[in-house]
Amino acid sequence: MAGKVRPPPELVREWEREDEEFRELRRRSADWKYIEGLEPRARLALLAYIETGDRYLAAKLAGLTLGEFDELRVKAGVVCVT
Amino acid sequence: MLGVVDACFLIDWSRYRRRDLLASLFEAILMHEEVLAQLRSPSAVDFASCLLVRGVLRLYPWSTAEEELYIQLRDEVALDPRIPSLERPDLLCLVIARRTGAVLLTENLGILRVVQFHPAYSRVTAWTALEVLEQMVYRGLIEVGSVEEFLNIVSEYCEDAKHVFSSRRMKDVTGRVRAWLGR
Repeated sequence: MAGKVRPPPELVREWEREDEEFRELRRRSADWKYIEGLEPRARLALLAYIETGDRYLAAKLAGLTLGEFDELRVKAGVVCVT
Repeated sequence: MLGVVDACFLIDWSRYRRRDLLASLFEAILMHEEVLAQLRSPSAVDFASCLLVRGVLRLYPWSTAEEELYIQLRDEVALDPRIPSLERPDLLCLVIARRTGAVLLTENLGILRVVQFHPAYSRVTAWTALEVLEQMVYRGLIEVGSVEEFLNIVSEYCEDAKHVFSSRRMKDVTGRVRAWLGR
C-alpha cells in the first residue's frame, strides 16, 4: 500500500474555516419544514449532508444514487457549496 | 481545450439555463463510464445524452496503468477524514485529468482539496462552474461589461443549480474578472 500523502497544517486550518462557512450556508438554505416531513432515512441523509457536505455519504445513507440524492437535495432547498 | 467531467459538476451544470455553452468552451469533454452510470436525474441524463450524441462528450478508454494510478491515489488520500467525498468515480476523473492534461470539471470538495496539496496532482487544473463561467467571459461566450454583470451571471447559475461558491473562490474570481475588464 502506498504511503499517506498528508496536507500541510495551514491548509487543514483553512479547510476547517471553509467547512464552518459551508455548513452555515447549507443550514441557512435548507427548507426545514420540508425536511422534517420526510421519512426517517431521507431526513437523516439530508441532515448528514447539511453537516458534512458529502454527497456520496448522504446518498448512501438515503439508499439512493448520487443523482437521485441530488434531486432530494434540490427539493429540500439545500445548496451545494464549493 | 480538453476537459474531463465528474458527476457532481454535470448534475449541477445540467440545471443551468445556459448549459449548452459548455460545448462551445471545450473541444471535447472526457467522461469515465462509471461517472455516466451515476447520472439519474432527468436533466443530467438529457444533457449528457445530447453531448454524447454531438460527440462533445466522449467515454474515456480506461487502462490497466490508470487503474494502478487510481489504487495508489486512493491509498494515499481516501481515508483522510479532512477530505470528504473521495469516491472511486471522482478519483478516476482526477487520474484522467493528470494523464491527459485535460481541465478537470468538478464540484467535489474532496477532489478540489487533493489538487491543493498532492504533489502528483497539484498540476491538474480543476475548475468549478464558477471558473467555467469566468473562462466563458474571457472567451467571449458570455458578454459582461462590469463585475456586477458577471455577478448577475453567477447568480443565475446559483439559482438554477442550487449551488453557491465560497467567499474565497468568489473573491479570487471577481478579482481576476475585474482585472480582465480593466485591461
